[in-house]
Amino acid sequence: MTIAVGNPENEADLDRLIACPGCDLLHYRRALEVGEHARCGRCADVIQTRKPHTVDRTLAAVLASIILLLVSLCLPFLSLSRAGIASNISVLDAVSALWFSHMRWLALLTLAFIVLLPLTRLLLLGWVLWRIRFKRRIRRTMRTAFRWSIRMEPWAMAEIFMVGVVVSLVKISTLANLHMGLAFWSLLLLIAISCYINLVLCKDTIWAILICKP
Amino acid sequence: MGNPDLQALSARQSGLKACTSCGSLQSITDHRLCRDCGAVVRSRRSKSLQRVWAFLIVGVMAYFPANIYPIMLTRSFTGNTSDTILSGVVVLIQSGSYVVALIIFAASICIPVVKFLVIAGLALSLQYDWDISNHTRHRLHTVTEFIGRWSMIDVFVVAVLAALIQLGAIMTIVPGVGINAFAVSVIFTMLAASSLDPRLLWDHSNND
Repeated sequence: MTIAVGNPENEADLDRLIACPGCDLLHYRRALEVGEHARCGRCADVIQTRKPHTVDRTLAAVLASIILLLVSLCLPFLSLSRAGIASNISVLDAVSALWFSHMRWLALLTLAFIVLLPLTRLLLLGWVLWRIRFKRRIRRTMRTAFRWSIRMEPWAMAEIFMVGVVVSLVKISTLANLHMGLAFWSLLLLIAISCYINLVLCKDTIWAILICKP
Repeated sequence: MGNPDLQALSARQSGLKACTSCGSLQSITDHRLCRDCGAVVRSRRSKSLQRVWAFLIVGVMAYFPANIYPIMLTRSFTGNTSDTILSGVVVLIQSGSYVVALIIFAASICIPVVKFLVIAGLALSLQYDWDISNHTRHRLHTVTEFIGRWSMIDVFVVAVLAALIQLGAIMTIVPGVGINAFAVSVIFTMLAASSLDPRLLWDHSNND
């Protein structure tokens, strides 16, 4: 990796440079081969990526995630029976149960982290990629949408919820008969796909398309 | 890597600032939004250390009631019990679920405490110029940002149990006050970690 030397004040030079997001060191942009990535010479953070078929792969995964998320929300993910009383819950049931047992704050938190943030993130990402894939005009709002979808990433906690579900399963497995519903498996699949999205989404490529730079 | 012969410059030293979302550069004196993506561009996150301390103090303060008050109340025909975070782990160990006990212990006790210490340590090392290798600090920062969200597991466990176990007189589980405090603690510690600008860690030294 070439390390920038000198004092680049020239406007035209700016596009040839890149600053490491981890430590702010300037580097010259490199023309990467497909599948390559470049790391910072000082802190070793990844500064440039070029992943293959990123729009197609990510769009497919995002569409699958939206469907799975909707399935996971509405269908029951756990059901239990004991002494003739059965109870089965979906994610939305869980939220409303919390709401009506006067834990409104916890209900809103769960709703935001499990439903609203992941869904909004997927919809924004899906919209941006859809328009890119089908060669629609690049709009300024797409940049804003993509920016927000990146910012929401750490706050979308569907996979952490899943671990929570498994832990609760273990905690009550001695108390009652438990059955995993369809939504349990679709949540599991959702986590696998969200890992896949992180692997194939190449932010550099998408930004280059959105900004209309070579 | 790190070739000592080259005079490496950061964007800031060259009079530039980089957009944290799309990466494009602009002059440090340019106060407009990012010309490419429209985000606010700052050379370093504004008042980074002040924010870190403010969020961290709230996080630590909320962590005490989270451990003292029960996170879950169980009402059943055999009597009422209440569980704190720690007693929940003990119950899991007694019932032989060692792996789950370990997960909960790590997520609810180890990760928050380690995070408090690491974030405070990083902030202090910036304020008092401690002699710690930048690579170590950078790695610590990356790890704390990554693991913080996993502390939410316990919150979701209580939410799921409270929603599922509503069997009337046989058994009912109600969330306790402690879980609110715990969620506040996790959220504010996440905010503290994300307020710490990693680029600050490299500003003071140019030798490595």
